[in-house]
Amino acid sequence: MGFLVTTLIFVVIGIIASLCTRICCNRGPSTNLFHLTLVITATVCCWMMWAIVYLAQMKPLIVPILSEGE
Amino acid sequence: MGEVRAGGGGGCCPPMNLFRSESMQLVQLIIPMESAHVTVSYLGDLGLLQFKDLNADKSPFQRTYAAQIKKSGEMARRLRFFKDQMLKAGFSPKKSATQADINIDDLEVKLAELETELVEINANGGKLQRAYNELVEYKLVLQKASEFFHSALNSAAEQQSENASRQIGEESLDTPLLLEQEMSTDSSKQVKLGFITGLVPRQKSMAFERILFRATRGNVFLREAVVEDPVTDPISGEKVEKNVFVVFYSGERAKNKILKICEAFGANRYPFSEDLNKQDHMVTEVSGRLSELKTTIDVGLLQRDNLLQTIGDQFEQWEFLVRKEKSIYHTLNMLSLDVTKKCLVAEGWSPVFATKLIQDALQRASFDSNSQVGAIFQILQTKELPPTYFRTNKFTSPFQEIVDAYGVAKYQEANPTVYTIVTFPFLFAVMFGDWGHGICLLLATLYLIIREKKFSSQKLGDIMEMMFGGRYCILMMALFSIYTGLIYNEFFSVPFELFAPSAYACRDLSCRDSTTMGLIKVRDTYPFGVDPVWHGSRSELPFLNSLKMKMSILLGVAQMNLGIILSYCNAKFFRNGVNVWFQFIPQIIFLNSLFGYLSLLILVKWSTGSQADLYHVMIYMFLSPTDDLGENQLFPGQKTLQLALLLLALVAVPWMLIPKPFILKKQHQDRHRGHSYTPLESSEDNFQLGANHDSHDHEEFEFSEVFVHQLIHTIEFVLGSVSNTASYLRLWALSLAHSELSSVFYDKLLMLAWGYNNVIILIVGIIVFICATVGVLLVMETLSAFLHALRLHWVEFQNKFYEGDGYKFYPFSFAWTGDEDE
Repeated sequence: MGFLVTTLIFVVIGIIASLCTRICCNRGPSTNLFHLTLVITATVCCWMMWAIVYLAQMKPLIVPILSEGE
Repeated sequence: MGEVRAGGGGGCCPPMNLFRSESMQLVQLIIPMESAHVTVSYLGDLGLLQFKDLNADKSPFQRTYAAQIKKSGEMARRLRFFKDQMLKAGFSPKKSATQADINIDDLEVKLAELETELVEINANGGKLQRAYNELVEYKLVLQKASEFFHSALNSAAEQQSENASRQIGEESLDTPLLLEQEMSTDSSKQVKLGFITGLVPRQKSMAFERILFRATRGNVFLREAVVEDPVTDPISGEKVEKNVFVVFYSGERAKNKILKICEAFGANRYPFSEDLNKQDHMVTEVSGRLSELKTTIDVGLLQRDNLLQTIGDQFEQWEFLVRKEKSIYHTLNMLSLDVTKKCLVAEGWSPVFATKLIQDALQRASFDSNSQVGAIFQILQTKELPPTYFRTNKFTSPFQEIVDAYGVAKYQEANPTVYTIVTFPFLFAVMFGDWGHGICLLLATLYLIIREKKFSSQKLGDIMEMMFGGRYCILMMALFSIYTGLIYNEFFSVPFELFAPSAYACRDLSCRDSTTMGLIKVRDTYPFGVDPVWHGSRSELPFLNSLKMKMSILLGVAQMNLGIILSYCNAKFFRNGVNVWFQFIPQIIFLNSLFGYLSLLILVKWSTGSQADLYHVMIYMFLSPTDDLGENQLFPGQKTLQLALLLLALVAVPWMLIPKPFILKKQHQDRHRGHSYTPLESSEDNFQLGANHDSHDHEEFEFSEVFVHQLIHTIEFVLGSVSNTASYLRLWALSLAHSELSSVFYDKLLMLAWGYNNVIILIVGIIVFICATVGVLLVMETLSAFLHALRLHWVEFQNKFYEGDGYKFYPFSFAWTGDEDE
């Protein structure tokens, strides 16, 4: 799975989650916007974390060197 | 930023819940005197109006309702007295099931009656108890003293008989001739020996003896007997260890002295007679009276208990009623009396959405109090800054409290809570990434959430209260910890190949190189999180350090950019163009041309796999920007870009510093000039308004002050962007410490114990491992990660946009009078 595919998955999850909050607790436009902001922030945070770790391992400059014992 | 436009929905963001504090209005209520009490009571039930103190210059005694406050204070005192009595008697006030409607005046009479009754019962009980204790002491004296006399009598009789036998047997020349005479005269001439019996505290008995001896020059004879069990002292009512004493003396003067000494030592004296018959008689009498008193006291106690029981049944309700009454009168005292003395005028803040509710409450009140005139509700125009009011729920309130602990938001400024709800637990989790620990945290907080109803009704300890209040915050922290734990691939520091096989493998079949040259990447990158093969490898630390350090920078730059964007939202909302052009734009340019560029470099380096040294690039970007980059070049045109960015950053600093003070000065002058030329209007209303306006606007504009302020602001931002970025490295440090500690605990406790192949050692090892995990990782580490996340939000995030100099909205409400009075 490449970078873009997983990013797409994150986007889809984000959209599903915001739809869920919209459907499950629909409490007026301002509250809905608040929920949407929460979901987007959370999704962006999670995606950033994953993307950083993924990118860092894409083209490794150092490789794992096993310890002597193993 | 001084201007506030109430109710404006402008700005980049549409009105969002919690993003802006509720729009408030200053309202004036004119309440007829006769319905004032009911009105305030209804408003208190509603809890959406914060009364302003209109009598701030009056002392509490000069106010209108001082007498009523005194009365309710007296009632509160009575209730406290009952509570003390109940505590002493071991009752606890119960929640009364029946909510009997009771008038406050009736309650006052009832409380007074109950108090006199209780005081009387207590006084009688005290008297009886004292008499009882005296009798107990008397009985002891009778017992002990009779023992003395009995033994003394015996020995005397022995001696006498001995003497007699000697007289008979040894009547010789040696016998003094006058012996007979002596003995016979003895009884008639004998000095009458008096004696005093009583009880003295054992601690004082030595001193007592010494003083007696000195005062009478040795002419006393003291006998003491220890009373084994402590005796209740009739006067103090405490248990004291005592001795029974008998003092023999001769002469009236000695007696007086001894009496005084007894008094000084708190020795209680009791009459005692030598006559054996009388003694017996006394003992039986005292015993009889004792049992009589005992039953009387028991009946008295029972009566008191019954009384306290009836009080306890309704205590909570009464207490609530009295508190309510007191707070109503306190509020009424804040209202100013109309000139005609027929109405009270109230002013206060209320949220705009509450207008209808307040009007309803006013109508109901005037209806219920049969008032002929209804209360008048009107909205006042004011330049004063309204209080800040966020409508939070049990989920958002802990996060709002985190923000409020730093400073209450200025009226309607952007509320960081909206983002804090996610970013706070997220940054916490970056430092606390371990899904095993996350699950432990999740279970603990789920317990709190499931038993929410039970916990919220009972009183918890300080720490427990805090945990319970922040349960949803902890829930978010736990969920994000599980997520970051999966990313870090750590379950109690153990990695799992959950998502795919590791991307690395040996170079050849023999795997000889794996400990020297290392493995090579044979598959696609591990799709989710850190490749499990890194764990325990020799290059684990260099790899993770580099990764986490860069991650901290990236996350930090992102969050700081969010903060600056929020400052744009604020400027837009308050229609403050100066702040957009001369604060927001140069700030975002400055931050991104330095640290945004660094983030870009990091990303480019990762995606190209370049060997360039980023420190070198960043440092020489300042030191010699025109030099060739050489092997550190990551992409073509980098040098030009760097030069451009450097120039932008250099331009941004004076851009931030210089124009704003001058523009502010010009704005002030314009306003001033315009103002002085406006024609005066004759209408009185306008005149008043104008006067108000004048006094407000005539604030001196100190250019130097504004300039210095801007200078400080600029320096703070420029230096801050460097130090704040560095400050985000704490994410790396804490996360490193967490993973190292947990792997040490796992390897050195659990694996070591496992290696012994011994059940007992294994069990001990597991216990120690659990204790260390819970104590160090789940408690200490949670706390430290929490504090660091707190700091990152308060300082690094909020100083980009948050003024936090508002004041909180405290509506008058009965819901929280409960705890605050205490």
